[in-house]
Amino acid sequence: MAKNLSEILAWVAETFEAPAEKIRPETRRDEIDAWDSLGILTLMARLDEDFHILLTEEEIQQLRSVEDILNLLRKRGVLGDNE
Amino acid sequence: MRFLFVDRILELEPGKSIEAEHIFSGDEDFFRDHFPGFPVVPGVLLTEMMAQAAGKCLDAEGTGKGKAMLAQIRSASFRDWVRPGSTALITAEIRTSQTQYATATCAVVVNGAKVCTADLLFSFLPLEKFAPDYRDEVLESFLASRQQGKG
Repeated sequence: MAKNLSEILAWVAETFEAPAEKIRPETRRDEIDAWDSLGILTLMARLDEDFHILLTEEEIQQLRSVEDILNLLRKRGVLGDNE
Repeated sequence: MRFLFVDRILELEPGKSIEAEHIFSGDEDFFRDHFPGFPVVPGVLLTEMMAQAAGKCLDAEGTGKGKAMLAQIRSASFRDWVRPGSTALITAEIRTSQTQYATATCAVVVNGAKVCTADLLFSFLPLEKFAPDYRDEVLESFLASRQQGKG
């Protein structure tokens, strides 16, 4: 079942151990302290476990902002198109 | 003090699950400080023990990804004290294992009671990073005995 935007933003915040209020669609990778090499591993593992999404190293490196993660999840049907 | 917290492997399905054992004899140095009059195994060592067991399970796959290294303690709970003389049964179930990472759900059981649990994240380090003569004797011993059993 598709998640809504606030659920996914909370999921992103939890993934990067960031305060929920800091995570908005426009938040860039360099604004999130824990979006480092360990953060990338964590993101990959959680995408896999929670949504069965497997990404290549190249795909994961192309994610530059929270919006990029949202777009990925829209494409994979996790986040509703209208969110 | 050696930093080996898996004495022997009891059951192993490479890349999937493991059951292993470690005995705390009571002679370990850390009991002197943790704590005087109330010696208990530190939670960090129980966590390390689970990581070592899960790591052996991943290493046993032999996929060429490298050696499994603890990258993140995603959660850990300590439910009871582990006292000197305890025999700890360590279990780990690999939840997902990909080229760059793996996750495992682990537990330590003493006298039939689950004393701690943890969800762990692993990354992989190329084997070339380690000493050329580095060997996991516990894992090799288990695999050899299993091979003999088949033969």
